[in-house]
Amino acid sequence: MRYNLMLAWHGLKRFPRSTILAVLTVAMGLAATMTTLALLHQLTADPLPGRSGHLYLAWVDTVRAKSGQSTSLNGVAINANHRIKLDDAKGLLHDHRAHWQAPMASTSVEMTGSGPNPRSKHDYVMATTSEVIPLFGIALRSGRGWTPGEDEQRARVVVIDSELAQSIYGTVDVLGRELKIGKGVFRIIGVSAVFAPQPHFYDLSAFAFSGTRRDRAFVPLSALLDAGGELSGNDGCDEDAPAKKTTLFGTDVAHCATLSYWVDLPSKAQVDEFRSYLQHYVEEQKSLAGFGKPARSDLIGVGAWLSRQNVVPDNARLNAWLAGSFLLLCMANVAGLLAARFLRRGAEIGIRRALGAPRGAIFQQHVFEAALICLVGGLLALPLTLFGLWTLRLQDSGFTDLARLDPAMFGALFLLALGVGVLTGWLPAWRASRVEPGLQVKSA
Amino acid sequence: MSLRIMLKILQRHALMPALVLLQVALACAILCNVLFLVWQRVQPMVAPSGLAEDELVLVDQIASHVRPWTAAEAREGQLALSHLPGVRSASSALGLPMIGQVTVDYALKSPAGVSVGVNGYFGDGLVKTLGLELVEGRDFLPGEYGDIGVSQSSSGVPTAKSAQSIIITQSLERQLFKGESAVGKLLAVPDDPSDPGYRVVGVVRHLLRNQVDLATDGRADDTILAALRVGDTAILSYAVRIDPVMREVALRGIHDTIKREFGPLMGGESFLRIGTYAERRNEALKSARAALWLLAGVTIAVIVVTAIGIMGLTGFWVQRRTRQIGIQRALGARRSQVLRYFLLENLLIAGFGVLLGMALAFVANGLLMHFYELPRLPWNYLPIGGAIVLVLGQLAVLGPAMRAADVPPVVATRAI
Repeated sequence: MRYNLMLAWHGLKRFPRSTILAVLTVAMGLAATMTTLALLHQLTADPLPGRSGHLYLAWVDTVRAKSGQSTSLNGVAINANHRIKLDDAKGLLHDHRAHWQAPMASTSVEMTGSGPNPRSKHDYVMATTSEVIPLFGIALRSGRGWTPGEDEQRARVVVIDSELAQSIYGTVDVLGRELKIGKGVFRIIGVSAVFAPQPHFYDLSAFAFSGTRRDRAFVPLSALLDAGGELSGNDGCDEDAPAKKTTLFGTDVAHCATLSYWVDLPSKAQVDEFRSYLQHYVEEQKSLAGFGKPARSDLIGVGAWLSRQNVVPDNARLNAWLAGSFLLLCMANVAGLLAARFLRRGAEIGIRRALGAPRGAIFQQHVFEAALICLVGGLLALPLTLFGLWTLRLQDSGFTDLARLDPAMFGALFLLALGVGVLTGWLPAWRASRVEPGLQVKSA
Repeated sequence: MSLRIMLKILQRHALMPALVLLQVALACAILCNVLFLVWQRVQPMVAPSGLAEDELVLVDQIASHVRPWTAAEAREGQLALSHLPGVRSASSALGLPMIGQVTVDYALKSPAGVSVGVNGYFGDGLVKTLGLELVEGRDFLPGEYGDIGVSQSSSGVPTAKSAQSIIITQSLERQLFKGESAVGKLLAVPDDPSDPGYRVVGVVRHLLRNQVDLATDGRADDTILAALRVGDTAILSYAVRIDPVMREVALRGIHDTIKREFGPLMGGESFLRIGTYAERRNEALKSARAALWLLAGVTIAVIVVTAIGIMGLTGFWVQRRTRQIGIQRALGARRSQVLRYFLLENLLIAGFGVLLGMALAFVANGLLMHFYELPRLPWNYLPIGGAIVLVLGQLAVLGPAMRAADVPPVVATRAI
């Protein structure tokens, strides 16, 4: 085998021009495929590894309105984020049937620091309740989260992430300092690590994938509403609600479905139990009578939710298919080049065979040669892939700033290169091993 | 040489032709699909907008965090803008061409039962401000307009008591009324028989929709104008038609006016955008352009790889048969006959490859369509893609074939 490997290596150097051509072709195919796959890998990664398996989005449809069409003729999805109304969120929280649970909404607010020359920042915060920290496993770097009691008292406390602390106060040592959010002044009680799951699965209505946007602070929902903070967007409002004048960035929290309600359910039995509890909850809503709606509720896991909401852009998948078929074309091409090269060596192979080399050895030698070519191609594909990802990041279409190569994909590149090599070399090597010893020796 | 002999030769050395065939088939399948994707991206770029493009300035995202704008404020702004030097007319409008952030979504159903989803624009005097060309019927009368408040919580356009006047495009007239005049006819709202629907009062030649991604396959002009005036609203936008000679003056005036009228309530973080139609168009088509560059790259790579592959394989193939070619030449075959033989052989292999490739393209498109929102590959892309690959094959084989034709007859006498 060592000998065959050595022969393969010598073979590479024999026809340098065709070797270079084959290496370049393979590198191009591999780079195209890896670029698209790396992006896809980032986009389909688990947003919260280890946790998302038992997180569920709970939904009860209690909006007092006719159930509208979910998609229009133009493909515009309406009311499809499975959000619930504030009162229902309070009811579910009060019943406390799940292990951890929290309603939440990402909303964009103006935040201003304290001191003589306060800096301010307009960014997303998550309006939620106390259990969100254990629910999502948000890591606290210092301080504490707030308690259910503080939720009740509508306490103006806030947990901010270290980067926001850095950008407003210039330090992460900000416990006890004041942060103005909207019209209210909040006391910072905790500093968290940056929490930016990709995609932003818990509130897809705000944004899905983003390298730059994320929730930079966690704030009690009740206190934020008191401070004039508004939630943006909704999944429908009660028709019988009194007309309230809203700005574009605000919505009538009391009568519109604005909150995503996430729960942690560690076991299958708890999931089933919670599901029937939700259905029960909707069926008991007397006020829904007269709107001709069936009682609807839903409990859906993170993975199922992401695929239902179709968060991975079709374009990313389409490009991967395109790149994959291009790789196939490159493989066919290299197979041709290899076949030509191996058969050119027909005489030599004939002599080796005549001297007693078994077919297997010839086959092995040539598959090795093909694999070597593709590995070198893989090596060359690495900078090409990085270049491809860089151009993708330049495109700036919302999700492309995630285009990066992580170690797993780096390893996958070489596995792919090796696989491609063996597969490509198979046919030509087989053809080479069929060379009849006698004929070749005679003509040589 | 007859086709039978040619096939026989190919059959005896099946590996080389098989590899060429495989490459051709793959290239053909990829190119057919790429061409189709390219056309999908190009259509919105080449669709006529129907607007006075040179004269149009779009102002949007005038929003306040404090309170919604009132109908009176919207109208005051319009009045102030339209009296600026260099401005021909201005309309407070909702839904503007090339601005995809705010789209108004209508569904229309014709008496014959055809349903079409369209984008709507509304605002005071849009026909004049956008510079649309009326080909039938009339513009809205001042008394026809109704006020409409827009807020985030209203997910649809509220229902009116009597049929709303609308102006449609010629393309919609054709789709909905099959060649009859649409003027005066009623359109219903699908799935809502209680809604009084819409009455067509006029037809314009073109009007490009603002869901630009949907402006493909004859849907570019699926747009209507509704006789609605912007009332209380969370977000204001204006279409302003200027005198192109006085562009600079007009733009400065628009800037100052918006600042003066709305600045105090807009707050520090403003999303306000003021730009010419050309700028907004450029922005709206940015992602489509990026996709086109990518597809162009794929096309070039496929062509180069295939050409090199065919050249390499045929070159080797010619080299192997040098002796036979020499014998043929010695027996009286002309150069041109040898040349023709190799070209024809390539045509034969590539022809089979293309047939296989077209089938592959069709199957691949079917699979993609099943999983993603992609329209069916129209069959006419197949022969186009096939023809490109065939020509490519012939060009690629030209070099090796000429080399074959240059083989001197004397080779036949040498042993190689």
